[in-house]
Amino acid sequence: MDGIWLWISFALVSMATHLPRGSFIVLGQRASLPPTVQGALRYAPAAALAAIVAPSIFVVEGAVQPFNPKFAAAVVVLMVTLRWKNPWLPFIIGMGVLLGLRKGLGF
Amino acid sequence: MNRRFLAGARSGFRIFLPLSIGLIPWALVTGVALTSAGLSVVEAMGMNLMVYAGVAQIATLPLIMAGAPLWLIGLTGLALNLRFLIFSAAIAKGFRGVPLRLRIPSGYLLIDGVFAVCTERLLSVRDRHWRFGYFLGPSLWGWGLWQCFVLTGVLGAGALPQDWSLEFMATIALMVILVPLSRNRPMLVAALVGGLASVLLRGMPLKLGVIVAIVIGIVAGFAASQLLPERKEV
Repeated sequence: MDGIWLWISFALVSMATHLPRGSFIVLGQRASLPPTVQGALRYAPAAALAAIVAPSIFVVEGAVQPFNPKFAAAVVVLMVTLRWKNPWLPFIIGMGVLLGLRKGLGF
Repeated sequence: MNRRFLAGARSGFRIFLPLSIGLIPWALVTGVALTSAGLSVVEAMGMNLMVYAGVAQIATLPLIMAGAPLWLIGLTGLALNLRFLIFSAAIAKGFRGVPLRLRIPSGYLLIDGVFAVCTERLLSVRDRHWRFGYFLGPSLWGWGLWQCFVLTGVLGAGALPQDWSLEFMATIALMVILVPLSRNRPMLVAALVGGLASVLLRGMPLKLGVIVAIVIGIVAGFAASQLLPERKEV
C-alpha cells in the first residue's frame, strides 16, 4: 500500500485512537458509560492483542507450525515478562533467542 | 498560566517521572518496528504524530502494509483503543471547569501511564488550574519523550543489520503489553480464545479473520466473567 492510501489509513487509525480518548473528556458531564458496556469493553484490548500476536508466533509461511524459532523465543519472552519487571529484558533475551536459533543453529 | 497551574504541573511531572522512563524502550522499539515494516522517516513520524499510540501503530501496521480494507484497519484500531473510552469516562470529572478548547487537546494527550498515576488526585482536587497543570505537565513530558525516542528508533533502525528479524521486536512489544493484562481469568480466556480464533481464521479473505477473532475473544472473556468466579491471580 502506498501514497495517499497509506496516509488515509494513518488518519483512520488516528481517529480510532482519538475518538475514544477524547470522548468523555470532551463531552464532559453530559455523558457516561453504562457499567455492562464498560465490563464487556474491558476484554477488547486483550482479545485484539492476542489476535494479532498469535499468528505471528504460530504461523510459518501460511501453515500452523507450533514448534519454530519464533515460538521458542515467544515462550522465553513470556517467562521473562512474568519473572522480571525490567522493560529492556524481554527485547534483549527474546531477540537473542531468535537470532541464536536462526543464525547459530540454522533454523 | 498562573502559579497554581505551575504547581500542579510540577507535582504531576514528579509523580509521573519514574513511570515515564518505561516509555523509552517501548518508543525505541516502535520506531524500529515502523521502519522495519517499510515506512520512510516522514511516513513513520507522520503516523507517530497523528496516532500517538504505540500499540495501535504497531498492531495495525501489518494490516496497513498488507493492503487490508480501510474499514478493517479502522475497526481493529478501534478495538485496540477501546480501553481509552473507559479511561476517558473515568478521568472526565478531573476536567470539570476546564474550557472545551483545552479539553480537546487533552484527549489527544491521554496515555495509559498518566491515567494510571494522575486520575485519583485529578478527581479529588478542587482547584481547576492546579488540576489542569497536574494533567498537562506529565502528559506533555510523556509526549515529548515518546516523539524523541521513536525518532531515535526510526533513525537508528537503518544502522541495524537487515537480516536480524527485527520485525519480531513488534511481536515482543505486543506480548509485553498482553501478558500483564491477562493476569485474571476472564482476560486470559479473552486472549487465548482471540489468539486461537485468529490462527484458525487466518485464511479468511481481506484479513477479516482478525476482527472476527477479536469479537469472539471479547464474547468469550465476557462470558467467562459471568460464569467463572472472579479472582485476581490465575
